[in-house]
Amino acid sequence: MKKILAIAWKDAIIRFASSSELLFFIILPVFFTFLLAGGTPSGDEDPRIRLLVVDEAQTTISEQIIGELEKSTAVRPEVVTRGEAMDQFDQRRASAVFIIPAGVDVESLQSGSAEVEMLQQPNNLNATIAERAVLTAIRRVSSAVSAAQNAVRQREAKQPFATEAEKQAYFESSLELAQNIQADSPQRVTVIEGATSDAIEYDPRANSSAGQLITWVFIPLFGISALFAYERQQGTLRRLLTTPSRKATFLLGTISGQVAMALIQMLLLVGFGIWVMKLNWGHEPLALFIILLTSALAAAAFGTLMGTFVKTEGQATGLSIMFGMVMALMGGCWYPLELFPTAIQNAVKILPTTWAMQGMLDLVLRGKGLADILPEAGVLLGFAVVFFSAGVWRFRYE
Amino acid sequence: MKKLFLIGLKDLQLMFRDRAALTFMLLAPFLLTIGMGFVTGRFSGNASGISDIPVVIVNLDQGELGNALEDVFFSEDLADLVEPTASDSPEAARQLIDSDQASAAVIIPKGFTDSIIPVQGTMFRPNTTPEPVQIEVYANPSRPTGAGIVKAIVDEFVSRVEEGRVSGMTSIIGLMQNGLLDPQNAEAEARALFENAGMTESTAITLKTDKEGAASTEFDLLAYFAPSMALMFLMYTVSYGGRSILAERAQGTLPRLMISPTHTAQVLGGKVLGIFFMGVAQVGILILASTVFFQVKWGDPLGVIVLILAAVFGAAGWGMLITAFARTPAQVGSVGSAVMLIFGILGGSFVNLEVMPPFIRLFSNITPNKWGLDGFTTLALGGTLKNLTEPISALLIMGAVLFGMAVVLFNRSGLVQK
Amino acid sequence: MPNILEVRNLVKNYGNFTAVKGISFDIKEGEIFSLLGPNGAGKTTTISMLSTLYTPTSGDATIAGYSITKDPMAVKQVIGVVPQEIALYEDLTARENLIFWGQMYGLSGRSLHCRVDEVLEQIGLADKAKNRVKTYSGGMKRRVNIGVGLLHKPRLLFMDEPTVGIDPQSRRAILDTVKDLNKQGMTVLYTTHYMEEAQELSDRVGIIDHGELIALGTQDELTRQVGQTDTLVLHIGENEDADALAASLKGIKDVLEANATDHEVSIITPQAENILAAVVGKANERGIKIHSIDIREPNLEAVFLHLTGRALRD
Repeated sequence: MKKILAIAWKDAIIRFASSSELLFFIILPVFFTFLLAGGTPSGDEDPRIRLLVVDEAQTTISEQIIGELEKSTAVRPEVVTRGEAMDQFDQRRASAVFIIPAGVDVESLQSGSAEVEMLQQPNNLNATIAERAVLTAIRRVSSAVSAAQNAVRQREAKQPFATEAEKQAYFESSLELAQNIQADSPQRVTVIEGATSDAIEYDPRANSSAGQLITWVFIPLFGISALFAYERQQGTLRRLLTTPSRKATFLLGTISGQVAMALIQMLLLVGFGIWVMKLNWGHEPLALFIILLTSALAAAAFGTLMGTFVKTEGQATGLSIMFGMVMALMGGCWYPLELFPTAIQNAVKILPTTWAMQGMLDLVLRGKGLADILPEAGVLLGFAVVFFSAGVWRFRYE
Repeated sequence: MKKLFLIGLKDLQLMFRDRAALTFMLLAPFLLTIGMGFVTGRFSGNASGISDIPVVIVNLDQGELGNALEDVFFSEDLADLVEPTASDSPEAARQLIDSDQASAAVIIPKGFTDSIIPVQGTMFRPNTTPEPVQIEVYANPSRPTGAGIVKAIVDEFVSRVEEGRVSGMTSIIGLMQNGLLDPQNAEAEARALFENAGMTESTAITLKTDKEGAASTEFDLLAYFAPSMALMFLMYTVSYGGRSILAERAQGTLPRLMISPTHTAQVLGGKVLGIFFMGVAQVGILILASTVFFQVKWGDPLGVIVLILAAVFGAAGWGMLITAFARTPAQVGSVGSAVMLIFGILGGSFVNLEVMPPFIRLFSNITPNKWGLDGFTTLALGGTLKNLTEPISALLIMGAVLFGMAVVLFNRSGLVQK
Repeated sequence: MPNILEVRNLVKNYGNFTAVKGISFDIKEGEIFSLLGPNGAGKTTTISMLSTLYTPTSGDATIAGYSITKDPMAVKQVIGVVPQEIALYEDLTARENLIFWGQMYGLSGRSLHCRVDEVLEQIGLADKAKNRVKTYSGGMKRRVNIGVGLLHKPRLLFMDEPTVGIDPQSRRAILDTVKDLNKQGMTVLYTTHYMEEAQELSDRVGIIDHGELIALGTQDELTRQVGQTDTLVLHIGENEDADALAASLKGIKDVLEANATDHEVSIITPQAENILAAVVGKANERGIKIHSIDIREPNLEAVFLHLTGRALRD
């Protein structure tokens, strides 16, 4: 046991010998979590997509459309001049521009000749969302008009109007009526987020916090392989093994030291999630600890396995960043797994990152408890055992 | 001049002998490009990047509208997008979501139709009629996109129904106020009106959408992600090249070069050229590979070449600056990897920059990634070299300024001189 | 023979520390000149200045008539340098290394390839030329390291401690190569801290210590400075008081000098046999046990000892 501690302590000293290690330990993870969460630490800013609106009509209709857009949960209209809008759009600073040209008024709506315009950046999800929001807004405005038109037709079918003025008056009163009915419409859809005790909505920040935590803890743990390569190059590994210590003692010492450091790192990142990003990390401390520990063990064991085949420190560093990033991406740590084709979603179950992510999301996003994360923890532990045994078996000292 | 090239070529040759570095420079971006291709649905032939969203429909209403909504989910139009299953039990459906088997459950409660289309004897005043019955969308928090799409489909349906109701109400109330319809007949008439109006297309305003260049060129997502990954790992390559300057100093070949009848400027120039060659080789190979494997269309070939050269120049400037600041090769290595990742995310390789706060977007201008990606996007959309003035000049200025700073720092620290 | 190298008052300061304190010497065309001195004496700094790598703080030197400060490019064409540490690209093969460095010296085309073949032959690696340098043994790397310095047939070759840390066999090969090169007309400036190497190779020797040239001349001239004296070296036990013994020995007639280092006492005397009995007597008097006694004829070691009061290998 003493030996294991001695080995772990030596590794900590070697690792933090260069201060740039801190960069990977805490600075980069926090930075990435922050950026992937959308650049807002606690979601105080308006998360809606900015939509540039050019209002050249300046009529009640255009005002109504903008009014509807302001009510949207998806976009945040910002009225600007055409020149300004085109400028921003051309520089790709705006994903979409909505233009209401001069001449959009009640009359043009009645005659069906009203036309509005929209510019969208290609393949831009935000632009697509903005388009939906605009469609909804103009639909609401125009549906009142068409309801009024419909009312005029119904009335005409029963009793023709005496004068054109009477017809227009009927139209206007119907329009007002339609708008009133519309305004009083009840909410007919309710959205409930699955299995969260407190009604928090899906939060990209939770996803980002958990995903980045995994990414940045896994990369240095894969880097255990670099530690082995370093010791092999220095010849200290050979020397260590001439001392009366078993291979497994050495490997366990190395791994437990790194896992301990990883736990510290994870706690710092979880702390960042709780205090800065106001995420629900802390409601089941024991379950959280178990999933963090098993994730770290699986990653460390994989690093050990890598250590058996890498030759140089440089090789190990490169490979651990590569494996770390690819596994994180494919394991759903950066983007929700649902975006992948079904076949891939099944295939990535062979990655430890997939299970770690699922376990953490169960806790931070679904508000589940200890019993629910045990399967994931079990799988992660299984990974650890398999990788570790393979590592011990293939282990070389030079 | 010849020696400059010889030194540069020697560095390129050494890079190709370093298998570990090659793996990282070529394989890693390639794998990540494939990953991003999956995320964005490039390989599943679906533009939105998502398909076959598993959704559970519980129709307890069994009225006209409830059935109509169920039909929408089972319709041919949405066959690619959603994969609906019907269920009788709301509890069972919610359970499926909680165990992450589906993206969302749509629960249409009993009486939904009746709450909108008035039943006999309930219709007297417009909005005091039956209590609204709400459709429940039970969403899976770890599948935000799928759940969002399901919610949008339901919203769309409900707003159409609502339109029909508004239209019908307006007509009926208008007629009644004018005494053209007596309350006895109103109900029957209204039911007829609602049912018809609910399904009519009624947009009096036409929306013209113009996706920039979309008409002429189909934009390939990989034309964005392949260069974004290549540019990210380019940042690693330039620091790898920079590191070789310090490594040559440590292994004694740099002083040896200085002793040979070669000017210091030639030696440094050769090393820079080496970095440049490595970067061009890397980005070139990656672009070629994505052309061969994924049939990515890059657009104007001349523009692509000039853009690669400019991007590598800008990035090489960063490589030299990092090298000038660092003291050991290992330092360049770790700082280089960190800068690679920071620039990757700031340059838009992983997230859309638009959602970022303004200071982040401002900051992204110092990355070669951002300008390079700008250029590649322009080209893939059918732009030519002419349209690249802005990114290319930004990259060239960036490179020149950074080289200047690096030279000043090198002079201060003294590259070989003790 | 004309001078190929003339060094005048060369000084190199690093901040407050002066590594080379104004040395001057000449090397004649065709000779082997050794710069002998302990580690840290300023040998490498001197070579680095002469090979134009470092700029001297003051003073100058000319090589084949070109000033190292005013015309470094012309100097570089004349000299070849074999650095102390192996300076090669380990991931390139021996041949690729030689070709690259040849190009840096302006060789090209057929003449380059012929020359590379010649050098490979000369350093005895023709059959291993296609292997990467990192697969070589230390001795083989040293030979390639030397080969690079020979490619452009320099008139003056600087060799900076080329035998440090290698096996006796490779060392022998290197010394023979140096002699061969010299026979073919190459002038060699050889630095070392091994007295035997300087003794075997050099026509003339400069002894350098603490950045100063403390002696200069042919081996005969230098040993004559010590006079016709022998050096008697007593090896005593570790715990014995060498200083006290040395002090007491100075009282013996014919002992010119007695110096203590660790567990050795060196005595300089005109005729060693004459004082042997007295020396042993003094030791017995103090109860000091003598393990062994060496008697050395005048050599460079003795010169160094004479001049500095220290052994060369401190």
